[in-house]
Amino acid sequence: MLLDAFHALLDVWVLIAALCGVAIGIVIGAIPGLGPTLAIALLIPVTFTLSPIPAIILLLGVYQGAIFGGSISAILLNVPGTPSSAATALDGHAMARQGRAGEALRIALYASVFGNVFSCLVLILLAQPLASLALDFGPAQMTALMTFALAIIVLFGGGSMLDAALMTLVGVAAGIVGLDPIEGLPRFTFGSFAAEDGLALIPVLIGLFAMSEVLLQAFAGRQQGPAERGIDAVSSQTSSPRAVGWLSLWKMRVTLLISSAIGTFVGILPGIGSTVPAFVSYGLARSRSRHGARFGHGEPEGVAAPEAANNAVTGGALVPMLALGIPGDAVTAVILGAFMLQGLTPGPFLFQQHGVEVYAIFEALILLSIPCILLGLAMFRGAVHVIRIQPRHLFPIIAMLAIFGAFSVNNSLFDVAVMLGAGVVGCVLRRAGFPLPPLLIGLILGPPLEQSLRQALLTSSGSTAIFVHSPIVMGLAAVTLLCVLGAAYQRYRAARRERAA
Amino acid sequence: MSSLRHHLLWILAALLLAVSTSAWSDDYPARPITLVVPYGAGGTTDISARQLAKLAEPLLGQPVVVENRPGGGGVNAMRAVSRADADGYTLIATTSSPTFVTPALRRVGYDPLQDFLPLLNYSGPYHGVLVSADSPYHSLDALLAATQDGKRLSYATAGALSGARLAFTQLARETGAQLQHVPFNGASGATAALLGQHVDIALVPAYRDLVKDGQLRLLAVLDDQPDPDFPEVPTLEQAGYDIQFPSIVALMLPRGVAAERVETLRQAFTEAAASPAFAKVMTKLNQPVRVLPGPALAAVIEKNLHAYQRLAEALKR
Repeated sequence: MLLDAFHALLDVWVLIAALCGVAIGIVIGAIPGLGPTLAIALLIPVTFTLSPIPAIILLLGVYQGAIFGGSISAILLNVPGTPSSAATALDGHAMARQGRAGEALRIALYASVFGNVFSCLVLILLAQPLASLALDFGPAQMTALMTFALAIIVLFGGGSMLDAALMTLVGVAAGIVGLDPIEGLPRFTFGSFAAEDGLALIPVLIGLFAMSEVLLQAFAGRQQGPAERGIDAVSSQTSSPRAVGWLSLWKMRVTLLISSAIGTFVGILPGIGSTVPAFVSYGLARSRSRHGARFGHGEPEGVAAPEAANNAVTGGALVPMLALGIPGDAVTAVILGAFMLQGLTPGPFLFQQHGVEVYAIFEALILLSIPCILLGLAMFRGAVHVIRIQPRHLFPIIAMLAIFGAFSVNNSLFDVAVMLGAGVVGCVLRRAGFPLPPLLIGLILGPPLEQSLRQALLTSSGSTAIFVHSPIVMGLAAVTLLCVLGAAYQRYRAARRERAA
Repeated sequence: MSSLRHHLLWILAALLLAVSTSAWSDDYPARPITLVVPYGAGGTTDISARQLAKLAEPLLGQPVVVENRPGGGGVNAMRAVSRADADGYTLIATTSSPTFVTPALRRVGYDPLQDFLPLLNYSGPYHGVLVSADSPYHSLDALLAATQDGKRLSYATAGALSGARLAFTQLARETGAQLQHVPFNGASGATAALLGQHVDIALVPAYRDLVKDGQLRLLAVLDDQPDPDFPEVPTLEQAGYDIQFPSIVALMLPRGVAAERVETLRQAFTEAAASPAFAKVMTKLNQPVRVLPGPALAAVIEKNLHAYQRLAEALKR
């Protein structure tokens, strides 16, 4: 079966589809506001004329390329191209400011490929059993999992735990705006129809991370911006491409494995997406690392962990989509449509009826790493020069892209207003020294957490026994508790060391 | 001299007016037609509408441009189209929920009966009453009987304001069954919750393969007709309950479009929807082709909108 599938890949159209897909994906991903969903939806009509395998490979190439592409603008401009690369910006941009942009980009690329290959192997070996594991995660289990994710962000996100907790609550509160997920009644919409959809993730993300950067620079006076200082160092860095080899990757092997496993697992579950696993693996890598204090100031491991995790999500997200016909997020829902149009209806019969095509697609997902690395390295040569652009030229472009990106999500001016509002809020919070990632995570996890909790209590007639009697919930609760104790112990030791010194 | 110029101007103006009005009245369609899809690009509603648009283009002699306006569960796009110019250049490919479910439940900013002219229904996925394959209930009656002895069953739907929820709320009221609604984000979440046995029942479309594979059991369909894939499974009405949730995917126009333009559009889109090429794509998408002419569609919309409005009133009390 695997060999037959491999033969099916020996086709010039497959090669062309893979190269085009990855290239389009990286570019689209690097532009703030344009994500893989939009690119794939626009490309679906193109795939009508292709045979199934190249068609699907084109779309999956876009998916993979876009998730990685988001990290390019995150590292170089501190503006995440896609929500999932917001975590990469923390250490990636810090490295770029120190003149290590080339190194950061390469680490992001290799970690992305690692996460991707890992999750594809999992997909090939375990698609069916993992799909049934995903089904064990009902409302009660999802509630416990999301609580765990919030705890990790607050405990290990970096900086003060109180600040992180405050920002998380701000995010959760912002998530209340819109229609009540259970009753369908409007909350805090003030009669506005546009506000009924709530504060959409992408406009808020672009506002918090891209627009606030523009505003900060605009009010920073005529200083030449941090990017300017790094120029010489960057160019010298890019001229020695061997600086990051497999050795430094080998040193991070445990982090890469843990992050990829988290990404794959969260990808299998519906409705969480790739931003949360990126931040959770960042937090865990930071807590595990011996130099946790260097995180946030240009630690390579802080780039590798989120990149491995967010790319591993792609393989994970395909598990329930292919095995059950149940898409976990917007991107896989669009890919599901593309599969159906090619006559490959995902669901219980897919592997029986179209085994060769499916395994060919899996193998192609792994092999897509090759164009990813080649095109990625080629694009870095051009991309690092972005950092040479004078801020006064660069930031107006970012501002325009931000407005365009926010509008393109729903073709709605309300989203542009949300983006600008989030930009002002983000600018004020950054000036005041509050961390923004917990706010983003709170906004992402708040609504599904509320919905899961209320769903669980609806199915159990309001009894909390539904949580207590589930081994998965109790297991997750125990791990959460251990993390709290671990963080408290770390704090206690650090405080004692300080007193001793 | 000046009066001559004056006359010339008048003649020119009259000529221009004549040219523009003749273009306006005779050569419809004279420019591309916009087909609004109230959901995001890439979903089944979008793909089928794009296919229909492509097939109608040669019949109309003008491009049909699909414009996605997602958000608000389709309500935002409906509101925009209700306010668009009634010149026959703007259509919407809409579904049940923004047409007769959401407007019955809350303020949406348009009147689905007064503001729209139903042109043609071309699809509508069947919604089923599904239980897990190892559930003890083999018929809708058995399931309802179980809940009447004090057992409480939960049912998952695609969302808080779904038509399936309203149909089942009505069923619970009529039979005194203890049915607890649990809304999910979309039908896939509801299906997953049933497969994982976190709920007892799910009211979802796209169940064919899961039922044929023996993972789920179909007890009834909510539509007004049985699902051709499972002709032996009754509708709620055939099972003896006067409730339905007919699923529609239909083309509608803003009210006030000139009759001959409506006729041009009706002919082109009816022919496109009945074509084998359209049937082929819909089979791949696992969606039925259900062609229903405008007046019959209008009757379905009006009947259910009123039924759901009455139900919503009763629920408030």
